[in-house]
Amino acid sequence: MRACYRPVLMAAALFVAGVAGCATPPPASDPAALADFQEANDPLEPTNRVIYAVNDGVDLVVLRPLALAYRAVVPEVVRNHTHNLLANLGSPVALSNDMLQGKPRRAGDTMMRFLINTTVGVAGVFDVATGWGWPTHESDSGMTLAIWGVPGGPYLFLPVLGPSNPRDTVGFGADLAMDPLTWIGQGTAVADLGYSRLGVSALDARERVLDELDRLKQEALDPYATIRSLARQHRESEIDDARTDTRATVPDWYPQSPPR
Amino acid sequence: MVKRRTLLTALATLAATPFGARHGRADTAGDAAAFIDKLLHDLTTVVNGAGSVEDKRAALEKIIDSTVDLTAVARFCLGRFWRTATAGQRRDYTDLFHRVLVTDITGKVGDYQGVSFTVGRNTPRDDDVAIATVVNRPGNAPNKVEWLVSMAGGSPKLIDVIAEGVSLRLTQRDDYASYLARNNNDVQALIDAMRQHTLNRQG
Repeated sequence: MRACYRPVLMAAALFVAGVAGCATPPPASDPAALADFQEANDPLEPTNRVIYAVNDGVDLVVLRPLALAYRAVVPEVVRNHTHNLLANLGSPVALSNDMLQGKPRRAGDTMMRFLINTTVGVAGVFDVATGWGWPTHESDSGMTLAIWGVPGGPYLFLPVLGPSNPRDTVGFGADLAMDPLTWIGQGTAVADLGYSRLGVSALDARERVLDELDRLKQEALDPYATIRSLARQHRESEIDDARTDTRATVPDWYPQSPPR
Repeated sequence: MVKRRTLLTALATLAATPFGARHGRADTAGDAAAFIDKLLHDLTTVVNGAGSVEDKRAALEKIIDSTVDLTAVARFCLGRFWRTATAGQRRDYTDLFHRVLVTDITGKVGDYQGVSFTVGRNTPRDDDVAIATVVNRPGNAPNKVEWLVSMAGGSPKLIDVIAEGVSLRLTQRDDYASYLARNNNDVQALIDAMRQHTLNRQG
């Protein structure tokens, strides 16, 4: 797995180094504009916009057509099964992060999901666990770092990966490093499997936002800023969901202690 | 079903409110919850009902006009530039904002076929009430959607919808703010761009 991400990350690093540029903050004599600038928290905006434009171009000619083709050729049922399978492969990383976040009930949810979906759900193809009362939730190293008190930092628009920040970028690397599929086995078969997973993940992720992204670009006056706002709010809410999940580890029928 | 849920929500709110603060607050929360119950009922009736897409769009526009506090939302989205805008600009902007809002929402009517809502808790947030719901659409994972109701004008009015943590009015404000920052903070430029955008989408 690691091998498939390496070229992407290297290209990203080179690209960022090549186009690095900072936005000039408004003068202190204009406090309202300065407040807006600080609220946007996007000091690398000129660079980010260049990367956004490149991503958008690549998306337009490569990823979006592929996602459209994927939607046209593969029936919805199969696409959903594929998504379940990919999500199930991500369970070990999610479980580690649930535990690192100190969230036993969320870790239990992930554990049960993995056990049920891998067995009854035929290697993760069917998401049986949701119907049985173990719904899915987001859990990654960026969230773990956030719960440990690491601030997100300024907005970053990463090549290929899109909206992020320094904390979540580090988290992304940590997730790759802790993924068991990163270390199991070697050789062409394993590498091919890794590339396939990467490719199908990209298709799946892109297909799922086809309509939303098309609409956003149609509706927004400044799609870059709209995506920035949306991504950040959504991320905050994911972290908040984890942070405020104070369910006790006793069963539901057992008297619960009031949340602190 | 809807009626019973309203009653339960109202009762739950009553039980959860400290005794001294019970009057006023409980009324507000109960009114807001009843308002959202009716709104969701009306929305599902229109979206899942028979009739052409055109009919549905017209019906949705009526619902939007009667439930959304348009001036408050438009003002929020323009942020600090509302104060510097002239009376004429405010009028033009609000009119365009209305058109944008209606087009954005009614444009989605087809995607929401089969939609249903489960109403959850309501929580006071500053002077407003947030009502949590789960939106279920066939073939989609359930979405958490919060409805922010303001009682500032005496009767309940919708001022924001927060989908999976994303506030629609905040996202819109950030879009406008960024556009303004890149166009010399000129409100007229924003109005012109909104007008052009609306024309392009219609044409």
